[in-house]
This record gives sequence, structure tokens and C-alpha cells, in this order.
Amino acid sequence: MTKSRTLRIAMTVGVTVALAACSSTATTAPTTAPVVTAPPVVTAAPPTAAKVYTYADMVVGFIQTGSESGWRAANTSSFQETAKEKGLKLNFYDAQNKLENQITAFHQFNQDPTVNVIILAALDVTGYDDVLKEAKTAGKVVVLEDRRINADASLYYTYIGSDFDAEGQKFAAAMCDALKGFPADKHNVAEISGAVGASAAIDRAKGFREKMGDCGIPDPTSLNLSQTGNWGVPESKAVMEAFLKKTKNIQGVIGHNDEEAIGAIQAIKEAGLKPGKDIMVVGADATADGFKYLISGEMFADIECNPLLAPQVYEAALKALNGDLSLPKWVPSQEGQFFASQGAAALTDILKTRKY
Amino acid sequence: MNVSFARTWSKLTESMLFLPIAALLMILAFDLFAIPGFFRLELKDGHLFGSVIDILRNGSPTVILAMGMTLVIATGGVDLSVGAVMAIASSVACIMINPTITGMALTDPGLFLKDPQYSWAPLWMVIVVPLIIASLCGMWNGMLVSYWRIQPMVATLVLMIAGRGIAQLVTNAIKIIIFNDTYAYLGNGWIILPFSLYIATAVFLTAWLLTRRTAIGLFVESVGINFRSSYYSGINERRIKLFAYTFCGFCAGIAGLIATSAIRTSDANQIGLYTELDAILAVVIGGTLMGTGGRFSLLGSAIGGLVIQATITSMLSFGVPASAITAVKAVVVIVVILLYSEQAQKFIRGVGSVTMRGEAAR
Repeated sequence: MTKSRTLRIAMTVGVTVALAACSSTATTAPTTAPVVTAPPVVTAAPPTAAKVYTYADMVVGFIQTGSESGWRAANTSSFQETAKEKGLKLNFYDAQNKLENQITAFHQFNQDPTVNVIILAALDVTGYDDVLKEAKTAGKVVVLEDRRINADASLYYTYIGSDFDAEGQKFAAAMCDALKGFPADKHNVAEISGAVGASAAIDRAKGFREKMGDCGIPDPTSLNLSQTGNWGVPESKAVMEAFLKKTKNIQGVIGHNDEEAIGAIQAIKEAGLKPGKDIMVVGADATADGFKYLISGEMFADIECNPLLAPQVYEAALKALNGDLSLPKWVPSQEGQFFASQGAAALTDILKTRKY
Repeated sequence: MNVSFARTWSKLTESMLFLPIAALLMILAFDLFAIPGFFRLELKDGHLFGSVIDILRNGSPTVILAMGMTLVIATGGVDLSVGAVMAIASSVACIMINPTITGMALTDPGLFLKDPQYSWAPLWMVIVVPLIIASLCGMWNGMLVSYWRIQPMVATLVLMIAGRGIAQLVTNAIKIIIFNDTYAYLGNGWIILPFSLYIATAVFLTAWLLTRRTAIGLFVESVGINFRSSYYSGINERRIKLFAYTFCGFCAGIAGLIATSAIRTSDANQIGLYTELDAILAVVIGGTLMGTGGRFSLLGSAIGGLVIQATITSMLSFGVPASAITAVKAVVVIVVILLYSEQAQKFIRGVGSVTMRGEAAR
């Protein structure tokens, strides 16, 4: 009853008043939030006018990429667990790694009047403009999770995820470390990259190329040693097998995630070589599976990428619902890296404290 | 050139094995000249490594699938679901080794580190249960085809599509990485030669004994040639078809176990993807007629499987990127279709008869 009455009032008074009311009721927001930049989404949602949102009012449509890796599994369960904890309603959609599925789901969430927050883990950096505009007119709060996209920043509220470029640079640094024992002309590194078009793959590749010159690693692309493994073990193994069939002059492999590194390790072993001795392997994500290979010494280093983003994302979405637009357009997550040289015992102890 | 040559030639070309063996030899000859070191073998830690071994190892799942597929195609059918059945078998196996992971959280990882032999279910069950389930999947296909009279293409399409969904449901759409060393032996083990090769040989011998040392093989052929007249001559053609599809499912189960242990992961989306097409291609290369069925050759199909793998491995060694391999496979398909066409067959046999005529004229 009260809800519909406030809604009616808000509608008669009009958007400008609603805006004013919005900024006055948002007491939790820092008072310094001036919001000069065109305020996205929230302006079009009249109900926010008289109401302070809590997690109980939040209905989230979460469009996940798929279930391609252990990292993704941890990411998904982070969102599901946290939703239960906070008491918000989560509509989970698994896009099976197909862009068209994501777009369809986005449409559906846009048209669903109960959904007020849409969280997207984008499969590609482009292709979302239309649905984002649609979401803006429908008054949904859009938060990007894990994956960056190339769209006008006014179309989404914020992006919460890793600095993939920095991760790529860490790849290069770790690989330089790994190749210290090899002669200077033997620094050939193969790259098994993530899915084509994914921001994680693009930026990790870019970051790696920015720093690989530091110890004279030639560009894997120019050596024809860069190919996608689509984040999975089977394809990555096939790719590495093909590389090793072509040439045995490879001293290092970077996998854009743990699964790709693990696939490479298996291909190396099947070719009769020793990972960690003949060929150095660096992976990313630092999942439990990756740790296992780190502990056995077959993986030289594992660059961390934190999948437990849900608390940060939900908090941001709640802020947006309450009209607080102070968050920057990108909130990077905190991450480290791990090395096989830390020793099996120490790594095992670290692993026990980890959640993914 | 004389009459005896012409006779041996016509005998040779009439054999179902002629074309598959010729194809394999042609590919290997290409490798011999074009790729230096292709036939080099290395013995490391008691394991034999080399490109030829790679062909045998990577080809063994296809060979195993082709065994079951041969019988199905010989009955005049086709089974499109083997790839999906592989995925189901691998998901079931992985979930039995490590069921805790399907709950929300990843299990205590320490457990797997402490014990490389850790498995929730005893290992013999991890092998047997997926095989039973895979056989049931095959039996389901057989039921649809033989008792409900659904077109084989359509009937098996059901499981081809639904199977991957089932496989994902089993593992809760999570890719389970398994660390059990004994299980990994299926796909990664070596007894001088890769272990999967021994499995493939065992499956081949089983299929051969089943069909050639009992009447089943004859029944399968007669059902393929004309199921109605087989029925009137007292052959239970429905049961024969049911058997063929069940055996095909069983073979897919074995191939699934090998595939999942080779990559130590249950990957419901990628395991066995498009392998049904490889298996069908292997059977067709082996000389069994697709669509009409009838006469079949298990050895031909096995060689057919190796032909496909030899093509892939040589192309990889030749420097063709892994992503372009499907295009190479397409070329193989075209060549096979052309070679098995009426005209080409006539031409090949004609080489012999021309010489024979020449002898007669003199």
C-alpha cells in the first residue's frame, strides 16, 4: 500500500523533485558526493525517491559467463553464498559461454519489473550497448563484475574486477624469474591465451607484452606460439601438443588461467619433457587446482586473481539503489602472486586458508 | 604385367582393407619425406615417445568409438550421441572420485595433497559404474531405434543434445579436476607403449570375437542388408539392433574414461565434442557403408581411426595450427567420399582389368 502510494506521489511530483528527495534521503552516502557527471540509471527509478533500500529489497539478475573454470565456480558460489547471507534475491543465469545467451538474459532481466539490479560478467568487450541502453531506460542498476567492457561509462554504474593488465605484467616478471637459468638466446615463451575477445585475455596479453622485453622474451605471436585455449584443459592441452610438435625450442609457457597452464603441463609431460625444468610454466587465478601443481613444482608461479567479488559488488549495487553515485567507474580488487620456490609446506599452509 | 598380377590386383582392391591401408601408407609416406624426424622414437624412463606413438595414443579413443559405431552402422543406423555419452561417463567417474566438490564450496584441498590415491568410491566402481551408465545410454538409443522405430539419426540426436546437459547436471556444471594417480593411468599410463593403446586393442579383440567367432556378426550384417528378410528367416532383428547400440554406448563409456583421465578433468562441454563425427568418419574410411549398412570390417574401422589421427598429427607436425585442423579433416572427408564413389572404385579396379585385357589380346 505505502509503496504504491509513494510511487503515485513520486510520479505526479515528477523526476526533478524525486531527484531532490533522493539526495536528501540518502543519509548513508558521503555528503560530499556532488555527482556532476550525468547521473546514470538511478534518475529513472522513481520508487527510490522515498525509500532507503536494504539488501532485502534487492532483486539481482546475475548474468554469469558460464562454468569454464575453477575460478568461475568460486566466483559463482561467492555470489550465491553472499546473496543467502545478505538475504537478497538472486536470479542466477549461466550463459554457457555464449554471447547471445547473455544478451537474451539481459533483455529478460530488463523486462522483469521485480529485478532492480543487473550484474554482468561480460564474455566479450563489445556487444552490450543496446541492452545497456535498454537497462538505463528501464531504470536498472548495472554493475559489471570481473570483466571490463568497451561501452560508454554512463551506461553502467561501476566495474569491479581485477587489473588484468597488471596481471599480465606479473606474468612477464615471473617468467623472467623462471628463465634466469636459461641462456639469453633461449627465452622462447609460448602463450595459451584466454577466450578471444574476453577482456581478461586481451589485457593479460597486453600486460605481458609490455614487460616481456625486460629479459629479452620474444613476442609469442611473432613466433607463432600464441593461441587460445578457451580457458579449458582439453583445448589447452591440444594447443600445447601442437606447439611441441612444431618445435621443441620452447622454454616457457604462460597460461591465462590455471586450467590452461595445467593443460600445457600435461602436454609437456606427454612429450617426454619435464615441466618446471625443461619448460617453465606460469599460470593465473591461483585456484586450489593450480596450487596443487605449484606445490609439486610443475608450475613455476601462479598469479592470483580474486574471484570472491560478491560482497564488494552487492555493496556497490546497494549504494547505487540508494542514489549514491560516488563510486569510481572501476574498483580494482587486491591480489598477490605465489611461487613454487616458496616451498611445498608453506604453500600447503596458504592453500588451507584459501576459499577457492 | 601379367595375368597373375591382374588377379592379385583385383583381389587386393576388392578387399575392404585396401583403401584404408593405402590411405594410411600414403600419409606415412608423406611424413617420411616432408617431416624430418617424424619416425624418430625415444625411450625415456621406460616410455616410448615419438610422433608415431602419438598417433596410436591419441587415436585410441577414436578407434574404440569406431568399434561400436561399426556395428551400429552395419545394422543400417548411426549413433550421433557417442560424444555426449563420453561426457556423461566422464562426469560420473569424476563425481565418484570427488563428490564433495559438487556442493557449493570446494572441498578441503589438503585432502588431495596428502593422498594422491584419494577416491571417494573404490576405483573399480569408478570404472564399472560409468560403463554401466554408458551402456544404458546406448540401450536407450537402441530401444528408440528398434522397438519404437524412430529414425536412428533422430533417435540418437535426442541423447546427443540432452547428454551434455545430463553430464553438466551430474557435476553441477563444475569442472572437477581429479588428482587420483591410479585413475590417471587409463589415459596417461605407459607400459613401454601408452596404456590406452592396450585398452583399444582389448576392445577391438572383444568386438572381433563377439562378431566373428559367434553368429552375431552375421546377424548384424543381415539386419543391415535387409531387416525384413532377416526377420522372416528367424533373426530377432530388434534384439540385434539393441545389442549394437548398447555395445556402442559401452565403447563410448570406455572412450570417455580415457579422455577424462588423459586431461584429469571432467569437462562436460568439451570432452568428446565432435568425436561422433570422427567415429563415423573412421567407420566410413574403413569401408562400411553408411546408410545402407551390411558388410562391415572392424579392422578397417580401426585403421580408419588411425588414418584420421595420422592426418591430424602430421598436420600438427607440419605446422598447421590446432584451430585449423577441422579444415584439414574436411579435406579428408572430401577425399574419402571421392575415393569411395562408384567411378573411383571402377577406375581403381580398372587398372587391373586393363592389363588383363592387354594380355588376352596378345
